[in-house]
Amino acid sequence: MSPLKVGDTTVYKGKSGQWSFVAHRTTGILVFFFLLLHIVDVSLINFQGGELYDEVHELYGNILLRLFECGLLLALLFHSLNGLRVVMVDFFPGAVRRERMLTAWVVALTLIAGIPGSIIILWPWIEGTF
Amino acid sequence: MATVVDRPTSSPRRRSRQSFETWQWFFMRISGLVLVVLALGHFALTHIVNDVVDTDAEFVGERWSNPLWRTYDWALLTLALFHGLNGLRVIIDDYVRSPGKRAAVKSVIYVVSGTLFVYGTLTIVTF
Repeated sequence: MSPLKVGDTTVYKGKSGQWSFVAHRTTGILVFFFLLLHIVDVSLINFQGGELYDEVHELYGNILLRLFECGLLLALLFHSLNGLRVVMVDFFPGAVRRERMLTAWVVALTLIAGIPGSIIILWPWIEGTF
Repeated sequence: MATVVDRPTSSPRRRSRQSFETWQWFFMRISGLVLVVLALGHFALTHIVNDVVDTDAEFVGERWSNPLWRTYDWALLTLALFHGLNGLRVIIDDYVRSPGKRAAVKSVIYVVSGTLFVYGTLTIVTF
């Protein structure tokens, strides 16, 4: 396969399917690299009777990392829901006719669960505890 | 029109590659469905039900005194890592065009993921 040249059209032609495809890959990569980091930070639990873990773990309460956690939640939710959409279309090909509606649901549910979730994550900072 | 064509699956190497691609396609769907529950459940427990600051070493120790939670966490580690690794493999196949670079990039992610899989497993088992 040769690289795309100017004038070539992509399969999805820039509609909702292509944006879902791009977002699915982006969120997947983000979550994967966080997982690699998370394996390392949890492993600290086996050193110095857990003290090292606690020291590093305290950072997660920081506002910057709390914002990162909100991003992680949104990425996880989108990737999960969009993945369910993909599985649905794969196993029930008829669902492809409702493609755009399914994508709208994926985005809506991501926000419906993600926004209250983010508020809960940020709450200690909003209250001023952290 | 009945035309007999040489099927592209005729070589054994191609066949084995094709059966791997079919298998990984299926793995992504099954592990994905399980991960919706495991990953979102894990996130809800450590960020929504409990605040992240409270999930300290004591919290982990209490949870890991139950072998079921260890199994849960190990299943999450394994499925998420291989689901993510396979996703990345497909992405690399799409964007890294030169065979040499492709092999190099893949080698790095395979070694890093393999090492972290063993390391993560040891963390849970030896705790």
